[in-house]
Amino acid sequence: MLAIGAIAGGPSVTAATTGAAISVRGLTRRFGAVVAVDDVSLEIAAGEFIALLGPSGSGKSTVLMSLAGFDLPDAGRILIGGEDCTHLPPHRRNIGMVFQNYTLFPHLSVADNVAFPLKMRGIGRAERRARAEAALEVVRLSGFGARMPRQLSGGQQQRVALARAIVYRPRVLLMDEPLSALDKNLREEMQIEIKRLHSELGITIVFVTHDQGEALTMADRVAILRAGRVQQIAPARTLYERPANLFAAGFIGDMNRIPTTWDGRAAHVAGRALALEAEAAVSAVPPGPAILAVRPERIGVAAPDRPDALPATVTDVVYGGAGTLVIATLDDGAQVRARAPSAALPPLAPGDRVGLVVPPGAALLYPAEAP
Amino acid sequence: MSAARASAARAASAARAGPVTPGPAANDVVTTGFFRARGRRMSKPAIVGLMLPFFSLLVFAFLYPLMSLIAISLTEPQPGLANYARVFENPVYATVLLRTLRIALLVSLLSLILAFPVAALMARSKGPKLALITACILLPFWSSVLVRTAAWAVLLQRNGLVNGLLTGLGVTDAPVKLLYTQGAVVVAMTHVLMPFMVLPIYGALRNIPTDLARAAAICGAGPARAFREVTLPLALPGVTGGFILVFLSALGYFITPSLLGSPQEMMIATLISQQIRESLDWPFAAALVGVLTLFVTGITLAFGRLFRFDRLMGARA
Amino acid sequence: MRPRGLLLDAAVAAILAFVLVPILIVLPMAFSETTYLAFPPKGFTTGWFAEFFDDRRWMAALRFSLEIAAATALLATLVGTMASYALLRGAGAIGTAFRALLVGPIVVPHIALAVALYLFFQRTGLGGTRLGYVLAHAVIAMPFVVLTVTAALASVDPGLEDAAMICGASRFAAFRLVTLPLILPNVVSGALFAFIISFDEPVVAFFLAGIRDKTLPRMMFDDIEQNLTPVIPAIAVMLTGLSVAVLVSAALLRRLGRTKAAPAGE
Repeated sequence: MLAIGAIAGGPSVTAATTGAAISVRGLTRRFGAVVAVDDVSLEIAAGEFIALLGPSGSGKSTVLMSLAGFDLPDAGRILIGGEDCTHLPPHRRNIGMVFQNYTLFPHLSVADNVAFPLKMRGIGRAERRARAEAALEVVRLSGFGARMPRQLSGGQQQRVALARAIVYRPRVLLMDEPLSALDKNLREEMQIEIKRLHSELGITIVFVTHDQGEALTMADRVAILRAGRVQQIAPARTLYERPANLFAAGFIGDMNRIPTTWDGRAAHVAGRALALEAEAAVSAVPPGPAILAVRPERIGVAAPDRPDALPATVTDVVYGGAGTLVIATLDDGAQVRARAPSAALPPLAPGDRVGLVVPPGAALLYPAEAP
Repeated sequence: MSAARASAARAASAARAGPVTPGPAANDVVTTGFFRARGRRMSKPAIVGLMLPFFSLLVFAFLYPLMSLIAISLTEPQPGLANYARVFENPVYATVLLRTLRIALLVSLLSLILAFPVAALMARSKGPKLALITACILLPFWSSVLVRTAAWAVLLQRNGLVNGLLTGLGVTDAPVKLLYTQGAVVVAMTHVLMPFMVLPIYGALRNIPTDLARAAAICGAGPARAFREVTLPLALPGVTGGFILVFLSALGYFITPSLLGSPQEMMIATLISQQIRESLDWPFAAALVGVLTLFVTGITLAFGRLFRFDRLMGARA
Repeated sequence: MRPRGLLLDAAVAAILAFVLVPILIVLPMAFSETTYLAFPPKGFTTGWFAEFFDDRRWMAALRFSLEIAAATALLATLVGTMASYALLRGAGAIGTAFRALLVGPIVVPHIALAVALYLFFQRTGLGGTRLGYVLAHAVIAMPFVVLTVTAALASVDPGLEDAAMICGASRFAAFRLVTLPLILPNVVSGALFAFIISFDEPVVAFFLAGIRDKTLPRMMFDDIEQNLTPVIPAIAVMLTGLSVAVLVSAALLRRLGRTKAAPAGE
């Protein structure tokens, strides 16, 4: 606790007020003919933990580089704590950053690495040493100050990088796929560590990742990017339960996409009509061909003769311990995946006839022409 | 000399392991991976500022003097190509040009014959053996040309070691004239330039994966066949690059032919020197420089990709 | 070992002997008591070294060459490092011109450069001056400095400078505190190469030499052409020693550079 106090700026500054709000307005960045970032706007609250999630080439890293000041946008503005810093060079932005490859200075000791930002700010040697040691304590690396970076493991190096990023009490911490170089166990350990730091320091964190699990478990809100555009910004639960479009729906978790015909009240699938609630359509869906999206775990597997079920033929059964994945083909040829608790399933084999039950509220409806 | 040393430095840099990237390209930024262009590229004024001393130096002390010298060959005593006509029409000078070409080619060929086995052995050696061979090849790189030329002057003089050996073994009855002959020039130039061919060839051979030889063997090729069908084509850029670098160096070679050659059998560099220091005929000397410069520039442009500068700058060959 | 391997070993041994023996034979002649060059040397004396160090003209030439080589190393390293850094930080079209211009001194024969500079320096009043030599030698040494420095720069993760800048360092501070310490061994070895290139350079020095100020290679050229006394082997012993020293230090520096610039955690 003492160490956190030293980092957060002493008892007079409470954790909740440490972070700064970030406002990204109409950010656009082109590289030749490629539009890497296309009119991106984001409002990030002070102290919020936001993840930028997307496949490679989606523009998430370019957004982060613009926030850091390493890349200048062609259009748009960036405000940090209400101050316009679109054209401010990186060293004047006062933000912390953790890079993918640790980027510890190989010729400096761990303590000197952590103290580097303090040295840049003209802080005296004695205070530098004390604050660097405090920051190392926060990342649980007390006593490692005299070592050289190459003497540390990957996880330890990333902790040092974290200490270096928070040692000067920045109001914003940027993280560029900081865990992707670590193996699975270390990654989970570091996820917890970063969450803890976030709640204790109260700084705003922008975290770039291509790992959806990481984004969902760590961030308050997740922004999904694709081809330079923001698809959706929402808390994890909203993102999972009401994805804004089919891309977001498919990018996070598993999602069945069943072609259907929508008449304004019911969706017609394989000769059956499914009545949908009004909120099933996330955005306006015109009558005609549409896509019905259902999470596999929301689909029940029942007897084929049940009247409210969609008749289907089992094509594959994948046993996975607690749950079993049943892959079936509807009578109109559409493939559907259902995940059910293994204990609740009757013995099934490929070729068996089943009825797939989509409970009201489980299905979402998207326009067919959406990508 | 310069060309040869550059190839040496290239190969030495290539020997440094580790990923190497040329200047970051703009669209690298959208690609992920370790070497995407991270970091803000410097502003144009900053780059120009940092490059300015370099450009000033090379324009002031290289490009401009060379161009103005060649301009003299075209304008004095009268504008026109008269000086060049003299170079090619006067049989004395045409002979010098042909002799220079012949000696340079011979030296390059001899160097290739001597350099290839060394490079091949280096490519299949490691540890102390490789270090020993490399040291033997690198030492002449950075030792004075004058010292090496003097060594040959000593060895080949009338009462020198080679004549001593020849008479001692009864090959000849009396000492023969070895110094101040074309033979002396060829042997000494090969001695000086050969090490410079080793490293480009070594670089090319070492970059051929050993699995390829195994693959060729599995496919049914014997060692000689595998060498001819697989190793040689892959090593060819290194071989050609090294050959051309030695050839270019030999063309303009001055010190060794001046000290060991016969005044009756000059090479072009000695002729240029003579025109300036004895005949004081600047326009004609300038034309000779023009011919030489044009020739090496042409070869560089034609075979440029074999020693492309990004390769010279340490990328894996 | 298979016979084919032994054959190659023997061939290479013979070739390396061809490379080394002429140099190795000359060196002992420096200690011969004869006034002409003899092998095997007769007697033993260090008199030819004394002759070199006692001769006012040799000493003047040595001092002149050392001054020029030191200034060349400084100039070429400074200019070359600045340009190399700009090249690797996104020079774009300027980089293309840079590469084209840098190839020039590598492929254009030194005789052409020497004659061109001789004329140009006569006209501009730089003939026979130290500055003239230094400019000429800096042009010749430039590619080697750039080769060494760019190779080192390319192996330094540019992300390190990003990290330094986000920590509050300006571009220059990031270079000075992070990149420069990492590439310093190679910068120094580039400077060593520039020094030895200038110190050994015979062709340009041959043409630029005035009546009073001659470089060591120029003095050696005259002596080889006219007298060929054992002073030459004596100098050869010292120059070869210098070359070995430069090579060994460059190799050590390069090793140091590799461990320094190696990404942490390998």
